[in-house]
Amino acid sequence: MLLLALLLVPIVTAAAAFLARRRAAMEAANLVGFGAVFLIAVALAARVLAAGTVSLANGFFYADALSALVVLLTASVALVCTTYTIGYLRNDQQSGALGDDASGKEQRSQLRMYYTLTPLFVFSMLFMVVANNLGVMWAAMEITTLVSVFLVTFYGKVTSLEAAWKYAIIGGVGVSMALFGTLVAYYAGRGLTGSEGLSGLNWSVLAQHAAQLDKTSMRLAFVLVLMGYGTKAGLAPMHTWKPDAYSEAPVPTTAILSTALLNCALYCLIRYYILTSRCLGSEYPGRLLLLFGLLSMGVSVPFVLVQKNFRRLLAYSTIDHAGIMAIALGIGGAMGSLGLMLHMVFHTIAKSLLFLCAGNVYQHFRTDLLSKIKGGVMRAMPLTGVVLFMAMLAITGMPPFSLFQSEFLIVRAAIAGGHVLTGVLFVLFGTGLFTGALLFVGDMVLGPRSDAPTAKRRPWRDGSLLALASVLVVIAFWVPTPLLELVRQAAHVVSGQ
Amino acid sequence: MLMTHVLDLQFGDRIVTLMAALVLVLQIAMVTQRWIVLHIRIFAAQSFFLAMIAATIAWYNHAPHLYVAAGLTLMVKVVLVPILFERLVKRMEIDEEIEPIVNVPLSVVIAGGLTLVGYVVAESFYKPGEPGLGHNALAVAISLFLIGFFTMINRRKALTQVLALLSLENGLFLAAISLTYGMPLIVELGIFFDVLVAAMVLGILVYRIRETFESVDVSRLRRLRG
Repeated sequence: MLLLALLLVPIVTAAAAFLARRRAAMEAANLVGFGAVFLIAVALAARVLAAGTVSLANGFFYADALSALVVLLTASVALVCTTYTIGYLRNDQQSGALGDDASGKEQRSQLRMYYTLTPLFVFSMLFMVVANNLGVMWAAMEITTLVSVFLVTFYGKVTSLEAAWKYAIIGGVGVSMALFGTLVAYYAGRGLTGSEGLSGLNWSVLAQHAAQLDKTSMRLAFVLVLMGYGTKAGLAPMHTWKPDAYSEAPVPTTAILSTALLNCALYCLIRYYILTSRCLGSEYPGRLLLLFGLLSMGVSVPFVLVQKNFRRLLAYSTIDHAGIMAIALGIGGAMGSLGLMLHMVFHTIAKSLLFLCAGNVYQHFRTDLLSKIKGGVMRAMPLTGVVLFMAMLAITGMPPFSLFQSEFLIVRAAIAGGHVLTGVLFVLFGTGLFTGALLFVGDMVLGPRSDAPTAKRRPWRDGSLLALASVLVVIAFWVPTPLLELVRQAAHVVSGQ
Repeated sequence: MLMTHVLDLQFGDRIVTLMAALVLVLQIAMVTQRWIVLHIRIFAAQSFFLAMIAATIAWYNHAPHLYVAAGLTLMVKVVLVPILFERLVKRMEIDEEIEPIVNVPLSVVIAGGLTLVGYVVAESFYKPGEPGLGHNALAVAISLFLIGFFTMINRRKALTQVLALLSLENGLFLAAISLTYGMPLIVELGIFFDVLVAAMVLGILVYRIRETFESVDVSRLRRLRG
């Protein structure tokens, strides 16, 4: 029932927003809808903690600790971003970013599009995570791309069309590779007991019989799936759509793309990793993941060091963190898996916070170019400035913030698992990113410029910023016991030990 | 005489192989094609043969749910998507395609090479003792996938890239029916729904690119860098 409600609420929300006539009604629909989704996600997490797994409709829907954690993160990001969106889009409307026709009809239809597509986007992500069938999971992933393409073209600029085209085509090719992988995995499990018909692609069935899967086929399947879902996660060299899409989409959408969608893409990879490592041993998938992960970290360093655009800088940081999580998965074992799950939680908090700050900065200065912002953030917007600086420290893995703990755990796991080279490169790339990111952001926040006008009050945007920032601070020192338990159990699902 | 053919598995295999060869030939024809309308029609013809292959395999292997897949292919890829795209072409008044990046003779040679790769990869799936249809079909499927990739890289017009993506998807469908007699029905339905929506979404994007850039040459999309 919980799973059904989780999927129905976003659909109802989208329908309500679509039918709404006034802006306030659309905003209210989204706010109430995502509030409800968040509560359901919490309830699901509690149920999973108590009962282990939850399934519905003969195992068509299935949730274990891993799914519950990803659902919880997705729902939280959606709720915070929606609160932020209300202030963000109102500002866009006033400043004429949505076009300035007199009747306001065009603006309203744009707002309606945003408030309808966002719940659908969230729905497709939740559906993907609670679908047991690997084919259905794939179909849901494709829907995420198709829905979010129109969020990327939201502002209808020349550049947003270009970004959307790259996003749709690269995503389309990637997802078709993932379909090929799904197909080969289905072939690998053919003829197993209990695998007739629909349940032949059910993850829980395949995982039970993973040792009997056809080994050659699983090898091929994992490579294809890694390339496919790796494209959606933005692992190098399939990452090129990311900076474009992230810098063109509305900021709240970008925040969802760079945290919730990244988690979901990694979730798909994790599911296949579990199958493959149970079938072939963890060395084969682990090496591939380490390769792609290190490549992603390495690729993002030079782009961060010479970056001129703040949101593109954040996009490369996301590519870097996708790499970090791929590495953690590749190392595997109890410690690597725990590092992965913790990092997923911490990265989601810090990165969505950073993008919300980027939205405030963009709307105030009307630019993303670092050279034009050059200082002034702190004077014009003290709150945003402080939070931005803090979140940047957190994302580059500075203590006392919690990403330090998870990254430290991952490096420790690498060294302990005999991947010394990986550990060394990890630290090296991390240092490079730290230097670049802190240099630019320090300049932007604390720079010399003083002529920037001070901002008006932004209750919706600053409220969500403050709420998320306090979560970031609190979680650095104290992780609530149930959350920690959920993370532990999710890591247990990944490592199987 | 006819009855024995209708039930003979070997005969079915031959029909599938013949039609798979036709599908491959059409894919290579797409590589050489410069007229966009013809390109769309070749895609429709290819999808038609694909639907026939699905129906044949359904008949000889008694897999009734493949009839549904065949029917959906007919509806979506042979009728709906081509009609949608031809209307788009008429509305945008584009009738010719500029030169592909690699010239036509060389493209055909590359496509031939990719077909060889397809056969080599398919070999690893072949188990001598196993009865069944479509050993050749799998090789064709992988070739389709690879040639589709190549066409996407090789073309500059937005709509041609979309068609290449869809023909790549055709390769996947062929792989699905020849490897496992199709996916479970609900997955199949999901995939067809996605293909239809993807075709529409990409069509809308192509139209908007045309409106904004007054061209569908995607090599002009190079503002976002670094």
